[in-house]
Amino acid sequence: MKALLILFFTAIAILFAGLSKNRKSLQTIALVGNILALLATGLDLVWGDTTGLNEHYATMFRFDQFALAFTAVVLTSSLLLMGLSGWGFRALSDTLGDNYGLILFSLCGALCMFSFTNMVMLFLGIEILSIPMYVMAGSRRDEPASNEAALKYFLMGAFATGFLLFGITLVYGATASFDLQVIARSIAEGKHSLGMLHMGILLMLVGLSFKVSAVPFHFWAPDVYTGSPNLVTAFMSTVVKTAGFAAMYRLFSSAFVDAGDFWGVTVAALAALTMTLANVTAIFQTNFKRMMAYSSISHAGYLLLAILAIGQAGSAGALLLYTLSYSIATICAFAVYILVAEQNNNESMDAFNGFSKKEPFLAAVMVISMLSLAGIPPTAGFFGKYFLFSVAFEKYPWLIGLAVINSAISIYYYFKVIIAMYFVRSEDQPSVLTPVGFKWVVAGGLVLIALLTIVPGSIYGLI
Amino acid sequence: MSLLLLLIPLIAAGFVLVARPRSGRQIALLITLANLAVTAYAVFAFQGGGGDALAFHTPWVPNAGISFSLSLDGISLLLVVLTNVLAPIIVLSSFGRGYDHENRYYGLVLLMIGALNGVFMAQDGLLFYVFYELALIPIYFICAIWGGQDRIRVTLKFFIYTFIGSLFMLMSLIYIYLQTGDPMAGPDVVRHSFLWKDLLAVQLSPEAAWWVMLGFFVAFAVKMPVFPFHTWQPDTYTTAPTGGTMLLSGIMLKMGVYGMIRWMIPLAPEALHTWSLYFITLSVIGIVYASIIAVKQSDFKRLIAYSSIAHVGLIAAGVLSWNKSGVQGSMIQMFNHGINVVGLFFVADLIERRLGTRSLSEMGGIAKNAPRLATLFMIIMLGSVAVPLTNGFPGEFLLLNGVWNYNAWMGAVAGLTIIFGAVYMMRAYGLAMFGETNDATAQFADLDTRELTVLGILAVLVIVLGFFPQTILSITDQSVNAILGSVQI
Repeated sequence: MKALLILFFTAIAILFAGLSKNRKSLQTIALVGNILALLATGLDLVWGDTTGLNEHYATMFRFDQFALAFTAVVLTSSLLLMGLSGWGFRALSDTLGDNYGLILFSLCGALCMFSFTNMVMLFLGIEILSIPMYVMAGSRRDEPASNEAALKYFLMGAFATGFLLFGITLVYGATASFDLQVIARSIAEGKHSLGMLHMGILLMLVGLSFKVSAVPFHFWAPDVYTGSPNLVTAFMSTVVKTAGFAAMYRLFSSAFVDAGDFWGVTVAALAALTMTLANVTAIFQTNFKRMMAYSSISHAGYLLLAILAIGQAGSAGALLLYTLSYSIATICAFAVYILVAEQNNNESMDAFNGFSKKEPFLAAVMVISMLSLAGIPPTAGFFGKYFLFSVAFEKYPWLIGLAVINSAISIYYYFKVIIAMYFVRSEDQPSVLTPVGFKWVVAGGLVLIALLTIVPGSIYGLI
Repeated sequence: MSLLLLLIPLIAAGFVLVARPRSGRQIALLITLANLAVTAYAVFAFQGGGGDALAFHTPWVPNAGISFSLSLDGISLLLVVLTNVLAPIIVLSSFGRGYDHENRYYGLVLLMIGALNGVFMAQDGLLFYVFYELALIPIYFICAIWGGQDRIRVTLKFFIYTFIGSLFMLMSLIYIYLQTGDPMAGPDVVRHSFLWKDLLAVQLSPEAAWWVMLGFFVAFAVKMPVFPFHTWQPDTYTTAPTGGTMLLSGIMLKMGVYGMIRWMIPLAPEALHTWSLYFITLSVIGIVYASIIAVKQSDFKRLIAYSSIAHVGLIAAGVLSWNKSGVQGSMIQMFNHGINVVGLFFVADLIERRLGTRSLSEMGGIAKNAPRLATLFMIIMLGSVAVPLTNGFPGEFLLLNGVWNYNAWMGAVAGLTIIFGAVYMMRAYGLAMFGETNDATAQFADLDTRELTVLGILAVLVIVLGFFPQTILSITDQSVNAILGSVQI
């Protein structure tokens, strides 16, 4: 709750401060707000007592351990992204304050999605998260691609919202409540109309699958990711994805857990389709951002395993560790990519040719990020994958087999970048200028990856 | 003590890679020698009966039953000795090659050495897996940065191949891990454990064991490699820089054999009866197939690569026959194969560096100008052929004995390796060393001091271990008995 308030007031403040157009001070305000919110969350998470916690605002939210932990994950991601924003947002001059405000507002939405105990709040959270993202996707107003991305994202998002709302309505019709606990009780006692409930769950699943870009509801993702400004893409593939999965986990684990036999099969099919299709398509990409878009879709496939493992001890912890390690690696990769692509005006993988000669440190950062995304030990991504696979193994061994094969396929495209940087000899590779913010962010990211390698249990055991 | 073997090379690797000191190669040599000293101390402590004091144990992810657990029994110790004896030799042998970005090269070699030590000492399933993969990353970069023609495609194939294999092993490990512990325990207790002894206690159903063993086998068969998982190997060995090839063939393939002895068979013994005949058949096919190809090879490095497939096929067959003679034979042969193959690749490298070719048909008459090389090469070659009183002989004898006891037919076919081995090695030696000199080989310079040191040490080892195989067998004897006894079939 504290974090939500801090973020909200910072967002309001920055909208006013935006009038001054002072780049430095705007970034500072956003960073300070973010750090304060993260600190408040961290203190509550480690020393706070969440056992006797009451719902806030007429049983709408509960900031339990789960909500706090995921709040910490997205605030860590957004902190890293804000660190990049000084140089990353250099093209936005007159709308800079608005952009920071939008980011902070969408974080508020994410926090609602972690803490809801009522489906109305889930819906509001998703909308609060999404609407700023529609605007951000189009924030490069003079670029047709950016406009296209915004329009596509908005139309598809509106569709998804429609499905979600319809689903909520049907579930309400079947169980006569929006409250997660009441729904769960009603399902457990069997006091509901089965057809309506199942239809409702299915439609909600479709709506959420749109948001987390699971196949076959992923078609918007590659275009939107490619067209949006780079930092916004990074935000979408980390914060938005984390929020979507945490919300899905919370919804299915607290409301629909007793209908698991029904939606389990569907989610398993979605997971199998998502990882396979996305990985195979990613192989053929030559544009780095598009490759990352498909990579992010494939990670959605792995993350669905956490939803399938609901009920197993440690499934929430596995989801937490995975989203954290995935977010950090993605942000580090984007940090390097932004420097290379925007300074050379080249979005394809060729931009990395011979990169390790000129910038050994940045190249090493990229290697570690790629290894982590591919889940190769001893990087943080491996532990994320390991825990996710092991919690889902008992129920769905065949799906884990498929996930393993997909992990092997993913090596092929993640290594394209490594190959370009280290093994392709290129003479005319210019060195890049690294702003201070980027140095801090990649150093911080590396420290976090190292920490996750050394003590993965501290995150996994958090919830 | 076991932690030192891990930390010394890993910290040094970090230092060399990050700080990029001017004297990276000297630091690498020093570090590997320091590690050798620690290993020597460990051997003495072990022989004195203090093997338990070498272990190191601390929880890693306590809430999931994963621990950072290292220990050294005879089997592990022998492979750690092999790793740390070969490490300084491999580093020293790389001095002659002026690699660009030399610090990176030596840093990666040190990283690799650390990871290999970890693989052989790990007592926790997940830790073993982590080191097993960690060893793959540096060797990938070594082969892909400093390799020869077509290195990018070849090394990526190698990486994906071995990575897929080890993922299947991970699945097997997870499966057994989920069977550990008391199923009646409450949800608050940490139920499962990855410790080797806890995994060992699990009784699998025959069907489950069938899958588990298959998962392990794919991982280890790719690494060794056993026919038909070998297709990455000749290309990778040929294109890799010689230091990389030495690491791959001298030490890394032993990870696969070690994995079979320590992990695959003890953890899924229920399936050994069902699988062993198939696996041994594959190994024996590999011996014959690789030997025949080796006989026809004209590329010297490729010839050694195929000979390695043949040798390792025999080692695998010995392990899978799972009797005292077979397992002891595989231990001694792992050690000796490491020494011989590193020697052979070093000879191939120094000939290639002088003549600019690996083709046997362009060599000839080298012995005239380089008697020292010819002598030392002869000794190592005889070791590889397993002539009595060289190091190859006792191992090959024990292995064939073990396979023969398992199945006489298999033993007879596997025995062909001796004949084939003599044919292709003598042929290579003859083509390279004897015959008419040509324009290139007439200028052939004999060994310099550094090369003489490297080859001299290896040749001395070949002879000494040929006379005293007991030094190796005595280290592993008790542990082999223990591991054979712990597996009830």
